[in-house]
Amino acid sequence: MFSPQALDSSRCGVESIHVKTHLVTIGAVSRQLPIIEVAPGVSVALLNLLGDTDLTEEAGRLLAALLPPETDVLVTPEVKAVPLAHVISRITGKPYIVARKTEKPYMSAPISREVISITTGKPQLLVVDGFDVPKIRGHNVAIIDDVVSTGGTLRSLSALMTEIGGHVCGTLAVFTEGDERSDVIALGHLPLYLK
Amino acid sequence: MTTTTFSSETYTLTVGALTRELPLVRPTPNRKLPLVEFLGDTELSQAAALEVQKLLPDGTDVLFTCETSSIPLVHALSVITGLPYEVARKRRRPYMNDPLIQDVASMTLGVGETLWLDTRHADKLRGKRVTVVLDVVSSGGTIAALERLIARSGGTAHGRVAAFSQGQPKLVIRVMQELPIFER
Repeated sequence: MFSPQALDSSRCGVESIHVKTHLVTIGAVSRQLPIIEVAPGVSVALLNLLGDTDLTEEAGRLLAALLPPETDVLVTPEVKAVPLAHVISRITGKPYIVARKTEKPYMSAPISREVISITTGKPQLLVVDGFDVPKIRGHNVAIIDDVVSTGGTLRSLSALMTEIGGHVCGTLAVFTEGDERSDVIALGHLPLYLK
Repeated sequence: MTTTTFSSETYTLTVGALTRELPLVRPTPNRKLPLVEFLGDTELSQAAALEVQKLLPDGTDVLFTCETSSIPLVHALSVITGLPYEVARKRRRPYMNDPLIQDVASMTLGVGETLWLDTRHADKLRGKRVTVVLDVVSSGGTIAALERLIARSGGTAHGRVAAFSQGQPKLVIRVMQELPIFER
C-alpha cells in the first residue's frame, strides 16, 4: 500500500528489462514514465497524453481550477497537449485554439513563427489560422502545454500571441522539466537526465 | 501547393442539438466543399462523440486514430465509452524506438503521407479488436493505412467509423453524416 504522500515523491522504477521509469502522480492518477534518450546525452521522462484519457482528464480538471479567471481563450501547440486543452475548455467553457505545425491550404492569411523544440531538435513552425486572429487580438490568452522544458515553444508561442495582439495572462502545463520555473503554473516537475 | 479560395457562402451543419455555419472552401476552381474542424470546437467534438458512439461495433477493445484533427473527437469518445485509444503520428519523433512505418496512399492533394507508430503503442494493439475512428474520410486511404498498422501490431481490425464522409470512400465505413461536395 502506498500512502498518497509516498506516491508524491519521485521514485525510479523499471518498465521492462531495458527501460528505466520515473514515477509521477497527478491527483488520483499515477504513471511510470519511461526515461528515453532524445538527444545524445539527454534523456527525458516521457509524458504522453495522447491515448491516456484518465491522466488527461485528471490533469485537465486540476489545471482548469488554476486557470487565471480573466482568461478569454486557451491556445495550445499541436499535438500532444490537444486533448488537455479540449478538457480544460470543456470544463471552463473557454474556447481553445491550436497553433499548428504547418500551414494548411485551407487557412486564411496564416501567421507563423519558428521554434526549436527539445524533443525534436529541429526548427519547426507554429502557425495560427487568420480565422482565429480575432479570438486572440485584444483578449487574454492562456497557453496550455503538456511539458514546458527549455521553454522554446513557450517563448515562440508567447511572442506569436503578442504579435497578433493578444495578452498572455498565464501558462499552464502538466509538468515543468529541467529547471523549476515560476512563470508556469504546473502540477509537477520532471527531472532532465543529462550525461 | 494548392491554393484554396473561400466562398462567402456557408453550409449549415447540424449535429445533435448543435448547428455550425461551415465555411465553403474551393480546393479546385470547380469544386466547393464545407470545411469542418474539431480542433478548437469543444462543443462540436462532444456532440459528435455522442453520435459516433452509436456507430461503434460491439466488442471493440481499443480505438485507433491518427494525428491531429481527429484527436478531440477520439478523446471525447474515449471518455464516453471508457475505451482506450492510440494515435498514429505523422512524423517520426526522437523518442520513438523501432516504430512501425506505414505509407498512406492518400488521394488528398496527391501527396503521400507516412504514419509512425512507436513500439510501446503498437504493443497496446496486439491481440485486441481495434476500431479505427476518424473525423473525416474521403478516399479511405488513411483508414487502409491505419488497418495495416493494426495488422502489423498483431491486432484485429474490428471496425471503421467516421464522423463525416466527403466524397466516395473505397471502403465500407460507418459514418455519422455525409458532407456534400458542390461542383461549380
